[in-house]
Amino acid sequence: MSRNRWLWIPITIVVVACLLVTCGGGSLFLWYQGEGLKFLEGATPPSELLPSIRPTPEAKPPARLGATLNLPGGEPPTLDPALTQDATSASYIVEIFSGLVTLNRDLEVVPDIAESWDLSDDGTTYTFHLRDDVKFHDGKPVTAQDLKYSIERACDPSTGSVVADTYLGDIVGAQAKLRGEADEVSGVLVVDDYTLEIAIDSPKAYFLSKLTYPTAFVVDQENVEGPVQPWTDKPNGTGPFRLAEYQLGLRIVLERNETYYGTPKPALERVNFMLAGGSPMTMYETGELDAVPVGLADIERVSDPSNPLNKELSITLPTLSIFYIGFNVQKPPFDDQKVRQAFNYAIDKDKYVEVVWKKMQLKAEGILPPGMPGYNENLQGYPYYPEKARQLIAESRYGDVSNLPEITLNVSGGGGAAARQVAAIVEMYKQNLGVDIAIQQTEWATYLWDLRAHRYQMFGLTAGWIADYPDPQDFLDILFHSESRNNDMEYSNPAVDRLLEEARGEQDFEKRMEIYQQAEEMILEDAPIVPLTHDADYWLTKPYVEGMIYPPAIIPKLKYVSISK
Amino acid sequence: MVTYVVRRLLWLPILLVAISMITFALGLYGPGDPVLVMLGQHANPEAAARVRHELGLDRPFLVQYADYVWKALHGDFGESLKYRGQPVGRLIAQRLWVSAQLNMAVLAIGIAVGIPLGIIAALRRNTWLDYLVVSLTVGGISLPTFVIAPILMWLLARQFRLLPSGGWEGIFSSRIIMPAMVLSTGPIAVFARQTRASMLEVIQQDYVRTARAKGLTERTVILGHVLRNALIPLFTIFGLMLGGLVTGTFITETIFGIPGIGRLALDAFFSRDYPVIMAGTLVVAIAYISANLLVDVGYSFIDPRIRYA
Repeated sequence: MSRNRWLWIPITIVVVACLLVTCGGGSLFLWYQGEGLKFLEGATPPSELLPSIRPTPEAKPPARLGATLNLPGGEPPTLDPALTQDATSASYIVEIFSGLVTLNRDLEVVPDIAESWDLSDDGTTYTFHLRDDVKFHDGKPVTAQDLKYSIERACDPSTGSVVADTYLGDIVGAQAKLRGEADEVSGVLVVDDYTLEIAIDSPKAYFLSKLTYPTAFVVDQENVEGPVQPWTDKPNGTGPFRLAEYQLGLRIVLERNETYYGTPKPALERVNFMLAGGSPMTMYETGELDAVPVGLADIERVSDPSNPLNKELSITLPTLSIFYIGFNVQKPPFDDQKVRQAFNYAIDKDKYVEVVWKKMQLKAEGILPPGMPGYNENLQGYPYYPEKARQLIAESRYGDVSNLPEITLNVSGGGGAAARQVAAIVEMYKQNLGVDIAIQQTEWATYLWDLRAHRYQMFGLTAGWIADYPDPQDFLDILFHSESRNNDMEYSNPAVDRLLEEARGEQDFEKRMEIYQQAEEMILEDAPIVPLTHDADYWLTKPYVEGMIYPPAIIPKLKYVSISK
Repeated sequence: MVTYVVRRLLWLPILLVAISMITFALGLYGPGDPVLVMLGQHANPEAAARVRHELGLDRPFLVQYADYVWKALHGDFGESLKYRGQPVGRLIAQRLWVSAQLNMAVLAIGIAVGIPLGIIAALRRNTWLDYLVVSLTVGGISLPTFVIAPILMWLLARQFRLLPSGGWEGIFSSRIIMPAMVLSTGPIAVFARQTRASMLEVIQQDYVRTARAKGLTERTVILGHVLRNALIPLFTIFGLMLGGLVTGTFITETIFGIPGIGRLALDAFFSRDYPVIMAGTLVVAIAYISANLLVDVGYSFIDPRIRYA
């Protein structure tokens, strides 16, 4: 028995080690909940106000030609532009491929393969004049015929694109081909080698914006139908970089395209994307990576001005996204507008952003995020006003909180305790309204399934909406028009519908934005959602990396980057 | 003996059909739909129906199943739904090979470290050495990987810069050291405990007393007689772990950035990537069935008391 006392030594060591880990250091888990949506970890910005972009360095002449940049990357579900629907795939595709138009760093639509275009008087026919110096990576010249082929291919049901309807569906004949009723997209016409005509079904000011997305990018027919299958193993694109190596799950390597037609010409020789995951922060600090995103676990450390890493921190404009709570306005108690408004007044968004997100996200007053054309900085959303919230419940047809039916908040998630933002919101409703809300977490695919079937009363929070293209139509029309399939709230307001339809065709930019702002105010008044936050990106970038930007939309950006060391 | 092996092998197709049918049915009839996941935040029932038709997901169950089996028998495991266009065979083979290498290293460490530890503990029973081994192994099994991994990474990669923080370059690179250390705590513990227990049991047998009485050196007694007999239950464990060579560990793979089968399997589940789920399930099933068969047959070689009619 006297020998037993030696047991305490190893036991103590183990226990102390456990305590050290659980109370100290951060282990980074990146659980992702499907493409296009983010599970966020927050951070503290260095100042109270969320600053706009740190001064973006102008694209100086490259400091040094021929260098390698090491970045972390996600695994792209596909490298086929016609099949892309997620941000990860898009981020590679915009570097390897290109299309008629693209977005510049200010998110404006600018010429790419098309050097100019004319719009017919009725606003439905675009005539694109193509550059004559665009070549595929193998040297073949690009003509209007290639563009027609690419659009036809994207609209071909056998290609299996899930997003062709969204981005190309406005083109005359596209829907018919997708449904199998036609062999050709009648609205796309090759006038000559360098002139392409595209006719859309009605005037739509946001159509060009949609063309900046990969679905409309040009692919090489010989490459796609060639002997190498899947052809995305060796894509023959037109972008500033070519795909040099792709090891699934491990690494993607891009190499400079020497014959790139656009400006600026890429300075980097190679870009290595490390796909395997691991711990990006550690790899940044050991120098294996040149830029990494910062998560909730590290943001306090990195935001501390006395930390040398703080100088390398950059914060982007809020990404064009919104996180919100959605109500199904057909299901009680949310079929009563006063109840929905009460639920809006009952949330203290400042506290929410501070405590849950360590001020890493921006409070959302309205629906459109800052940086989106049409953003209304004077918009007054719902302030935090718990007394008014309770009063509204009293005025509603329920009269009192105790008369409310059971409410369940459905979120996508998994595992044990609810995500902290969910727990915080539920707690706020309990404290400010006296309502007990049950939380139901469902794993991602099942959540989507039930959401699309409109089974949920109250939902959202962990899954938000991210812009497909920088146009308010993508937020207001797609989410709130009564006939939109993405209208999970089953919200319907004919006056709002009319405004949205009017805005679709309005050619005058200022007028169009005014209409959207009007619509936004009306929607907020109806309160089908509680807008909570807009997301922001926090990145650490090594000082020798120049020209790196983190724009709120997916644009080709690697061509602006150079390394000086 | 041969008839025994043949009989066992005849079960293989039956088991595989049963397993694959159940997995297939669960996927198809369970909640969640891969095309909905593909669409992500976009809701478009028309596009969903069209792509579902294109992928053949709207055909009756038996038609889809029969088609799958027919193609699988010809080596075509279809294309991934999540990684559009990627052949499943290639996808799984690559990730499987990575996990297999890691697991082989872990198994080797488990045996090389675990068995000697077990022997020491058995021979020095009830001394501080014994207690140390036992408590270390218990600690090793109890500490979850997501606790050990960050500690090790912080210590070895960040603080002392001794090892790279992750990534994968094959079984012979230094990148494998930390993940292997993390994962081997389990096998070391299992092998050590089992060796200790078996040896303690065998040491008490009469034939050991006889061996000692005959005047054999202690070393010969231990290694030649005790250990050899103690190995039988270890062989069972070894066999199960052989089957486990093709499984992955999601947590360790994520933390260290290893492109293994664990992450692929979980990704496939979340996106309802049926072809990958099916192929992965079949691979694991075949691995375990074969490993079990190998172990059962192996018994007859290491234990003369076991014979198959």
